[in-house]
Amino acid sequence: MHKHCTTETEGEYRVVRLGGEVDLSWSQEVRRAVLDALAASSKVAVNLAGVSYIDSSGIAALVEGFQQARSRGQSFVLVECSAPVLAVLKLARLDKVFALRDRLE
Amino acid sequence: MSAGRQLLPLLADLSQRLALSLDLEETLRQVVALIADSMHAETASVFLREPNGELVCRACSGPVDIRGLRLPRGHGIVGRTVETGLCQIVRDARLDPDFAGRPIESSTGFVTRTMLCAPLLTAEGPFGALQVLNKADGALFDDEDCDVLRLLAAPTALALNRARLAENVLEQNRIRRELGMARRLQRSLLPPRRRGGYPVLALNLPAREISGDFYDFFDLADGRIAFALGDVAGKGLDAAFLMVRCASLLRWAGKEGLPPGAWLARVNDELREAIPPGMFVCAVAGYFDPALQQVVWASAGFPPLLRIDAAGCSTQFPAEGPPLGILHGMNFPEQRTDLAGAALYLFSDGVTDVRDRAGRTLEVAGIESALIDLHERPPEARLRGLVRQLRRLRVTDDTTLMLIQGASCGAQRLLEHRFPARPEALAQMRHRVADALAISGAGSDDRQALVLAVDEAASNIIRHAYRGPCDADIVLRIERDAGELRFELLDDAPCIDPDCVKPRDLADCRPGGLGVTIIDSLMDEWCIGPRPCGGNRLWMRKRIRG
Repeated sequence: MHKHCTTETEGEYRVVRLGGEVDLSWSQEVRRAVLDALAASSKVAVNLAGVSYIDSSGIAALVEGFQQARSRGQSFVLVECSAPVLAVLKLARLDKVFALRDRLE
Repeated sequence: MSAGRQLLPLLADLSQRLALSLDLEETLRQVVALIADSMHAETASVFLREPNGELVCRACSGPVDIRGLRLPRGHGIVGRTVETGLCQIVRDARLDPDFAGRPIESSTGFVTRTMLCAPLLTAEGPFGALQVLNKADGALFDDEDCDVLRLLAAPTALALNRARLAENVLEQNRIRRELGMARRLQRSLLPPRRRGGYPVLALNLPAREISGDFYDFFDLADGRIAFALGDVAGKGLDAAFLMVRCASLLRWAGKEGLPPGAWLARVNDELREAIPPGMFVCAVAGYFDPALQQVVWASAGFPPLLRIDAAGCSTQFPAEGPPLGILHGMNFPEQRTDLAGAALYLFSDGVTDVRDRAGRTLEVAGIESALIDLHERPPEARLRGLVRQLRRLRVTDDTTLMLIQGASCGAQRLLEHRFPARPEALAQMRHRVADALAISGAGSDDRQALVLAVDEAASNIIRHAYRGPCDADIVLRIERDAGELRFELLDDAPCIDPDCVKPRDLADCRPGGLGVTIIDSLMDEWCIGPRPCGGNRLWMRKRIRG
């Protein structure tokens, strides 16, 4: 899947959908999208179904979102994590830290 | 006399009907009625010869319907007509020793008295007969009647022959179409050619439309490559179906990664269950490990495998197990060889059976010497060269060839890639690494992890060594040596202090600093240090086998 980063409202959630290979070349864009979503809504979900690759800079963007949400009592979940995403989360011992869901509802 | 006056219009009418006929059976019915009527005969009928020589009545007109009546070859006056190709005039059928109509007489009460029979002729000879019985008013059939019937027989024969030829062509087309489908099915089972230095090359040249030979190869998750070849005894559709079954069984059992002896034993037992009597399959199945440059296999009656090294020295490995499908519970001993600096050749006996002008078969020695002559060429050129030589000789059977190419002895350079210190260059770098690792022998999990580790390393060089994107270069090298992969990243940035590059505690959930931790957990060993001429060198290694 090609690189993309879109944000939409689905029910009570602001959903950031990511696709393609998330690496240093655009992880700042991901970070921006996640923080913007948190500014716009108390419930944010990041959908990772289309992510074929993610590196530590991409994970860092997610971690930052997670920490900000936690400090402000906001809901922050990762939805439909692809296999590559799960592999890296496990490697960084973050698979038990994030709230992971199969689907939003 | 009366027959002669009506002859021309009758002939014209009959010829026209036959020429225009779309439904030959129906037209024949009309034709025999016309013939009976114009010759003042009580009945008229058409007999045709079947492939087994029997004569069958295909149309008749008269008080008794004898359609479908069969006469053994050469029986009856009809039979005599067809055998001799000559007209028969019979004055009193009951006095003729060949008369075969008595059963009809007794069951229907129809008495045959006079008879006239003309053969239906083509260039290949008689294929049937026109028969008329019982000329009206008790008269006898004469020579003029005979000429008339022969004249009527001509267009009839033409039309029937044409119909039969058309049927044959349809049948042949149908068979050709079906064989063509079977061929496409078989070809679709062969794995596609893999490019980019994949160590397994294979080809299959069927002798006829469908093949009794096959080959297969596929990657296992642990980085080894499984391969199999088969040669079904026998020809035709039976052999082709057995080939498809055997190929599926081999792939199914092979995906489990069983040791080669157990792999063949399982397929052997399955095949034994329901193989047609007298059939069997010669086969070879095994694994190539690109990480260790070793091949292990078991052979079920297959021609000897040939190992030819870079110096042109050859070793033969004859089969140590029996063909598949003959007996339950057979033993297929495991065989192995080191392939560093050498190639392994597998071929079905169609290759060894190729004959030269003097009729001598090529045999294994012939293939061996041909391959030794070609050994200095690259792998693809060797196979092409061998096929060209085979084509100059007489090929009588399916030929299937497989080549497994070992890498050169010692460490092998898998990749050297230079790229700018910019994040946009990372994607292409990752893809080059993935391609290089795809044939390295590393398992799929390892490959994913290694791409990530290299990416993290490169990212860190960009961010921390060069302190941000710039036009300077980074050089990446990947080497494989005896089950181990080594990565080297070179930059021209100011020397960094190795002590500052440390993995951090993951219990501390922070956004940054994950890269080094990932490298540390994925690699067996790594280190970073200054290069003598300036810049840094990051070195990482991982064992992928053993």
